[in-house]
Amino acid sequence: MTAEERDALAGEYVLGTLEAGAARDLEKSLAAGDAELREAVAAWETRLAPLTALAPQEAPPPDLWARIEAALPAAPGAAVAPPPRTPERRRSDPWRWLALGSSAVAAGLAALLLVRPVPEEAPLMTVLLTSRDQPAWLVEADRGGALRLAAVNRQPVPPDRVMQLWALPQGATAPTSLGLIPSEAGQYSASTTAIRPSPGMLVEITLEPPGGSPTGRPTGPVLFIGRLSEAAGS
Amino acid sequence: MAEEPDLARLLGAVAAGDRAALRRVYEAQSVRLFGLANAILRDREAAADALHDAFLRVSQRAAQFDPARGAASAWLAGVVRHAALDQARRRGRELPTDDPTLGDTAVAPEALERVAAQADGRRLRECLEALEEKNRSGILLAFVHGLSHSQVAERLSMPLGTVKAWIRRGLLQLRDCMS
Repeated sequence: MTAEERDALAGEYVLGTLEAGAARDLEKSLAAGDAELREAVAAWETRLAPLTALAPQEAPPPDLWARIEAALPAAPGAAVAPPPRTPERRRSDPWRWLALGSSAVAAGLAALLLVRPVPEEAPLMTVLLTSRDQPAWLVEADRGGALRLAAVNRQPVPPDRVMQLWALPQGATAPTSLGLIPSEAGQYSASTTAIRPSPGMLVEITLEPPGGSPTGRPTGPVLFIGRLSEAAGS
Repeated sequence: MAEEPDLARLLGAVAAGDRAALRRVYEAQSVRLFGLANAILRDREAAADALHDAFLRVSQRAAQFDPARGAASAWLAGVVRHAALDQARRRGRELPTDDPTLGDTAVAPEALERVAAQADGRRLRECLEALEEKNRSGILLAFVHGLSHSQVAERLSMPLGTVKAWIRRGLLQLRDCMS
């Protein structure tokens, strides 16, 4: 096998497209201490690492750490009985809907609304204000993770900058990016499984370099900001 | 989320048998890592099993992590993705792929913006943009959702052999573009 073929194989392994047998063979070579191959795999993991941002973040089941800890080799002097595993319900687990992406979520919620009454929860709303307290965007959020924004007072954005939307739930230590708002857009929808909108959640739009904040945290000035609250009277 | 130097240090402690350090890695990374596994398996129970396997592997193999070769977060992502892919292979990849919207987010134009917003993501975005669209989509679908060659072929309505060759060529183009 040429060096090029070996590197392509390492790339396909990291990508995940190798068939089971080929993947096992490659893992055997790794375990046997093939340093060159290990280096090639690490290089591919580094190259492709930014793609991990495309998988929606999602909280694992709360009992998972206990299961992991129970399966670790016993620590000296500590005998821990494995906790019983509580299987999650497979059929109506709402998290599964959330994992399927926004359109599937919308379709799923629509289907739920059709087949059974859902207890009404007041929608969450806010108005994002400028630093001079001028209203700029109306925001409506539902607790499943969808946010809809409508501009009420379009503000020009410098040509070399973009608007990035962020959410900071109460108690969170860092805001979560909800994407870039096209500069000409009068409306914007975002959907996330990383956070659950709730009353008190901060919503803000910052000015960022093209492509969005390079650090994953807001780096530019806050243009508009507001805090979600329950719409009264619904 | 723990920053890279913290994670690298924690993995060093895990390699030395420090179980509290493993727990801190879990606390700092489990939401991100569970998301990776769930995007591949699309089943929370299976994703939990994958994360379980992955953390046992982390506890055994933390010594293999070499900070000189790459970031700790990338290494962890690799361990978790492979644990999830193993689960997927064990199930014969009989995972729900009939959802027509599966992967829409991964191949949407905004996806590349999200890639670029990551540390070191800008160059990858530029290089992904230089690929033909179907080639790029195939790579994104395989990475994010763990689709096999034949699933990518079905999804993109292309012959299997073409997809295999394209993905390989696309990877090598990416590598050359990023070097």
